[in-house]
Amino acid sequence: MFIHRIKVLVLVGTLGGLGISCDRTEKFSEPLPKVVDFNFHVKPILVQNCYLCHGPDPSSRKADLRLDTYEGAVAALKEGGHAIVPGKTSKSELVKRIYDEDPGKIMPPPETNLKLTEREKALLDKWIDQGAQWKEHWSFIRPETKMDMEDPNAIDLLIDRQLEGKGLEKVPMANKNSLIRRVSYLLTGLPPDPKEVQEFIADTSSAAYEKLVDRYLNSPAYGERWARHWMDLVRYAETKGHEFDYAITGAWKYRDYLIRAFNEDVPYDQLLKEHIAGDLLETARKNKETGVSESRLGTTFYVMGEGTHSPVDVRQDEADRIDNMIDVTTKTFQGLTVSCAKCHDHKFDPITAADYYALYGVMESTRFSPVPSDNSKDKEITVKEIEKLNSYMGKLVAKKWNLPKNSDSNTDLVQEIAVDLKKKTYTVIGDFRGRDLDGWKSDGHAFGKRTTLGDPILDQISGKLLGLQEGKASSRLIGMGIFGALRSPNIILEKDFVGVRAKGKNSSIRIILDNFQLIQNPIYGGMDQKVNTGNWNNFVFNVAPWKGRKAYIEIIPGGYEGHIYNLPEDAFIEAEYAVTYDGKWPSNLENNLGSVQAKGTWAGLDISPYKVRMFNDDLKKGKLPARIPELKSVMDSSQQLAKKLKTDSFFNGVYDGYGVDSPVFNRGNYKEPSEERIPRRYLSVLSLRDSLFRSDGSGRLELARTMLNNDNPLTSRVMVNRIWHHLFGRGIVETVDNFGLQGKLPSHPELLDYLAVKFRIDGWSIKSMIRTIVTSETFKRSTLRGEALASTDPNNIYLASFPVRRLEAEAIRDGILMVTESLDTLMYGAPVATHLTDFMQGRGRPRKSGPLDGEGRRSIYLEVRRNFLEPMMTTFDRPIPFSTFGSRNVTNVPSQSLILMNDPLVAQQAEIMAEKLLEKKLGSFEEKVQWIYMQAFSRLATSEELKKASHFFDMLSRMERKDDTGADKEMAVWKEYCHSIFNLKEFIYLI
Amino acid sequence: MGHHHHTKSRIISRREMLGLSAGGFGSLAFMGLFGTLPFGCKRASHLETASNLYLGPHYLPKAKNVIFLYMDGGVSQVDSFDPKPRLAKENGEDPRKKFKVDATQFDNVGKILKSPWDFRQYGECGMPVSDLFPHIATCVDDIALIRSMVSNFPEHTNANYFLHTGSGLQGRPSMGAWMNYGLGSENNNIPGYVVLDGGLIPPGGLDNFKNGFLPASYQASVFKAGPEPVANINPREDIKNLQEEKLQFIKQMDDSLIGKIGEADAVESAISNYELAYKMQSSIPELTEFKEETEATKKLYGLDSDDPHLRGYASQCILARRLIERGVRFVELTCPNVGADRWDQHSNLKVGHERNAHAVDQPIAGLLKDLKSRGLLEETLVVWTGEFGRTPFAQGSDGRDHNPSAFSMWMAGAGVKGGTIFGKTDEYGYRVIENEVTVHDLHATIMHLLGLDHKQLTFRFGGRDMRLTDVHGNLIKDVLA
Repeated sequence: MFIHRIKVLVLVGTLGGLGISCDRTEKFSEPLPKVVDFNFHVKPILVQNCYLCHGPDPSSRKADLRLDTYEGAVAALKEGGHAIVPGKTSKSELVKRIYDEDPGKIMPPPETNLKLTEREKALLDKWIDQGAQWKEHWSFIRPETKMDMEDPNAIDLLIDRQLEGKGLEKVPMANKNSLIRRVSYLLTGLPPDPKEVQEFIADTSSAAYEKLVDRYLNSPAYGERWARHWMDLVRYAETKGHEFDYAITGAWKYRDYLIRAFNEDVPYDQLLKEHIAGDLLETARKNKETGVSESRLGTTFYVMGEGTHSPVDVRQDEADRIDNMIDVTTKTFQGLTVSCAKCHDHKFDPITAADYYALYGVMESTRFSPVPSDNSKDKEITVKEIEKLNSYMGKLVAKKWNLPKNSDSNTDLVQEIAVDLKKKTYTVIGDFRGRDLDGWKSDGHAFGKRTTLGDPILDQISGKLLGLQEGKASSRLIGMGIFGALRSPNIILEKDFVGVRAKGKNSSIRIILDNFQLIQNPIYGGMDQKVNTGNWNNFVFNVAPWKGRKAYIEIIPGGYEGHIYNLPEDAFIEAEYAVTYDGKWPSNLENNLGSVQAKGTWAGLDISPYKVRMFNDDLKKGKLPARIPELKSVMDSSQQLAKKLKTDSFFNGVYDGYGVDSPVFNRGNYKEPSEERIPRRYLSVLSLRDSLFRSDGSGRLELARTMLNNDNPLTSRVMVNRIWHHLFGRGIVETVDNFGLQGKLPSHPELLDYLAVKFRIDGWSIKSMIRTIVTSETFKRSTLRGEALASTDPNNIYLASFPVRRLEAEAIRDGILMVTESLDTLMYGAPVATHLTDFMQGRGRPRKSGPLDGEGRRSIYLEVRRNFLEPMMTTFDRPIPFSTFGSRNVTNVPSQSLILMNDPLVAQQAEIMAEKLLEKKLGSFEEKVQWIYMQAFSRLATSEELKKASHFFDMLSRMERKDDTGADKEMAVWKEYCHSIFNLKEFIYLI
Repeated sequence: MGHHHHTKSRIISRREMLGLSAGGFGSLAFMGLFGTLPFGCKRASHLETASNLYLGPHYLPKAKNVIFLYMDGGVSQVDSFDPKPRLAKENGEDPRKKFKVDATQFDNVGKILKSPWDFRQYGECGMPVSDLFPHIATCVDDIALIRSMVSNFPEHTNANYFLHTGSGLQGRPSMGAWMNYGLGSENNNIPGYVVLDGGLIPPGGLDNFKNGFLPASYQASVFKAGPEPVANINPREDIKNLQEEKLQFIKQMDDSLIGKIGEADAVESAISNYELAYKMQSSIPELTEFKEETEATKKLYGLDSDDPHLRGYASQCILARRLIERGVRFVELTCPNVGADRWDQHSNLKVGHERNAHAVDQPIAGLLKDLKSRGLLEETLVVWTGEFGRTPFAQGSDGRDHNPSAFSMWMAGAGVKGGTIFGKTDEYGYRVIENEVTVHDLHATIMHLLGLDHKQLTFRFGGRDMRLTDVHGNLIKDVLA
């Protein structure tokens, strides 16, 4: 499709020469480049000015002309001629039209309010003159580099090349105090311990800095810092917001998973796989300490979205939810805004609505579910052992009964009751009276892989054989207290009722309409029925209002209370069949085993419901022996093993459903679906081999593989750019979540590609990438820059100096706690409840407020309640969790000052700091100030600062009430001093 | 510079940025028609593109400020501003025999229910108003009533988000945030977007008032009645002048930091913010004490009432006037907690609506009259609306369920044609049959009155130029003066 596919590397070579002027450039403030590059010079002009009418979206295309493809741009125009004739500006209609003075002809037309500058016109002109070389969008070309992977100076080489090209002069290295504070905050989110500062200053060895970097990379606080960066991408929250702010079960386990993953430096490709398809991986990654499977926790990111309370239009609700999942998934991992193609083809990027609905199907085929937090390889093995023991029990019985002989007499009578299909007022959704689960999904372990049909029933005490089980799906198949869910295939509701014949204790049957989970009154309450009957009972769901909707049935031991899933120890549920019908419960169903399959083996023999009845009759009549001594011990071992599988701790995650291909919704409206359904697949533009997902399930594993395909040009670029962004405060591509045509171009394309390639080669190690970057000279430069740089590179794009950065919300709060020595470094666990102020009102408000100081824990452990976000966090720009925010805003507002001036937490911490200071029993005033400076700024105060401190201190002392006694007064004065220290800009900025 | 400075390609120089970032200090050159200084806003340098800079109105505005009287829960249109005699005639009959009934959230459809209140005609225009609002009724000649509002959502929270942000989903910027993003605040000492918490935060919570993807500077500041009207507004220092001394020390130290590091706009703006914060500390308490309000004014709003909820709402209304007098761009009042769960009368319509109406009726009328007598109504747009209406048939026996298919709202003040009735519902007041007005249309119109073209006020987020009105919105021309 793209004729001139030129490596980015080549074009970068030309970028360096941007400053060289050529003949026609005098009139422009910035001279025209020698070689005009399509991606870097031309396309930005086309995207901003032309693509709305001549871009990828056919619905808004004018004059049948498209300028987003080479073919389109050089094609014959309807009215004759060609928009672009490469090498021939005089013949190119485009050139004529941009210079045209006739308002009826000039492009862009005046009514668009768009106007090309003279320089832009000249660029287009020159580019066509030079042959109109077309290239694929830069980020869709696979990154390649000629740099030496082992060259420790590669970053500096590439940065310096551009600095030299621009004639910018580098500033010197930062001093050691600044450096350690910078590295400590950026790697761990905390200021350095003053002892570490002293050690670093004292260590004059050449490896001192590398040692420092490694120490912080290996600090547990590193994971806490970088996990929080990641949480901004996945709209991390612990509640679902909306009307009542329901909890997201186990959200914090996902947060802990991230912290562990970053600390263990789990390779990024693994992390990606676990997020997209952690439930589908052949081998799950184990927690090093507990052996528990980690991988599934990644999928919790799907369920971090908002949850609507009783939406009347549940289908629209699903569409909104899936849209959010697509939005977050594609921005986070691919830096693409696929969600823009919901209503029509993307206006700018070559992403079609079909691409969007291909991914929509993937999400629609994914089911939300509680997932036990303690799954492990051991448990998997235990389940297999139990299954073996159980089938061994069957074999023992078969052997004893000498069945081959006996069975001859029992011809299969399954079809004995004829069913008049025409008269049938019902449809069977699942029948478990046979041997198998009738195509339903048995998620988790409880229901095993088959029904109970033919399983020996033993007297628990004597071990005497009481009979064989009839067929049913049972959550007790493996044992009690084990998680599992039996879920039907998707059905389209066509009849008034869904019925399930079931019995059990403390358990539930739920009808999941369009994947909607927050089942409750008013509207959906009837779709979740509690099962508490010892005898078989017909559970009836009136689904008449939702005819035509997609649904599935979920049979689950335990159940939901306030949308939190619980599994009581005595909970179990068993089901015989599920039907959908009109009118009355179908009366002939009970005896009709017509749909029950006779197939399946029992101890190597065919078993059928009929045979089980015959055997049980024979057993009762004493025709078959009931004493089989070995049985009891096998049963005991099986039950003993089952105890190891008990679980009572869950998180919200996903299980794979049944593959659904989605139609395209015209203008994003599900009420206007296309005839054709779009097969689940990856984005067509990246034309990666084998992008069709063929799995029977969602296709998420294939999605993960496509993202990690060697030819995927985005995955590694997007991630290294995020890392760069967190270290420098700005990405090489500034729009970190948008690498599409509307995103910014990379400031250092060659560097980005070098890092992207290196990231892959180094095994996707995030820590190595960070180490590579922070050990560069570029990173170690001082922030002090003169007026020259201020005018030549005002936004510090070229990094002649290190950018001055304000600390993030968490780093400010954690920094305060650290310098007052009140930080509790305890890691992990349930979040500390949100501290509620009077200003935080509304539905779903927790009854009790959390502590003011968050128990001294790091901010990452404070609860994130969507409807009650921590004011200090949001005021200092922690994003509102609804979409991907790879880059935080940095606002500057008086409410930030008011927090530092007047917030009770800050005042409380100042007092604590003063107490700590006085406890040190430091001798002189100077020592005290120096202690504070080292704590807060990682440096000693200058003599000038000491002098100012002394004046200030004296003044404070004069102001404090005269009647205060000495110690109290000293305390009061130091408190005010410490409080002032928190308010210095140096405290919240990395200087 | 006029008002063309919002064009996309405008390059903002470093010093101009600094002017902005300092919340307006020394940036006179940047002021549009109303001193368009975003309240203490540092334009983050990494916003997606320069198109994320909007400074000032697109054309000559009619209104400077908006007071948004939010009738949380949904006022019943057929009991307030849209009389339907047919309900009385068919009272007690089965609605399903009369018209198609949509699914509702509670699905407890009762009989057709006549309004418990009588309607009378008021003013020169003769607009009918029910006995629920005898005071507002005296202002009808200033009011443009729209009887043909529809919402996309029958659930409170979606509908609240929709009304406030133009999207039924959580996390989008509120209209108050958009207005401030577009116009900035006129006053550097008070935030440009204020929510007066009258006791009830609507379902959906504070996210109704947030900045969404806009910078946090545009989120609402919540004011509450009481000794600390705004979070952290009161100094902790209990010794006179102590805070000033501390701030001076801080300034001195910060200045020497600037001397050391040289070029650092962000730090300089952070320093200026302390000056603003300090001024806010004194300007806000002054605002909330009504020292200079006359007894007559207080009485006009109903501050002398026996009903504590009425008194509470009256002081919110006075405060709203005081805020817009000081240039606050957008003020929203939430409902008082009268103990009847907002206007959301799924049962006991009579008692609930009466309690709510009693609390807000006189203060709102007082506000309109007070604004008018001070000449402020000419530059202030007052908007009165719920998130949807209620059903003409009963829920159970004596309540009404949610109805997004028709509701009434009104506007008064700047640029609004008083004494107008626009749009029409069917004979039951159940559905709109003429001149349907969407929430997007309402937003477009409010923005228009403020001098903003809703199609041009965009913010680049996630690869799209986002708008308050998404891809919708038409001006409601018939209600414009």
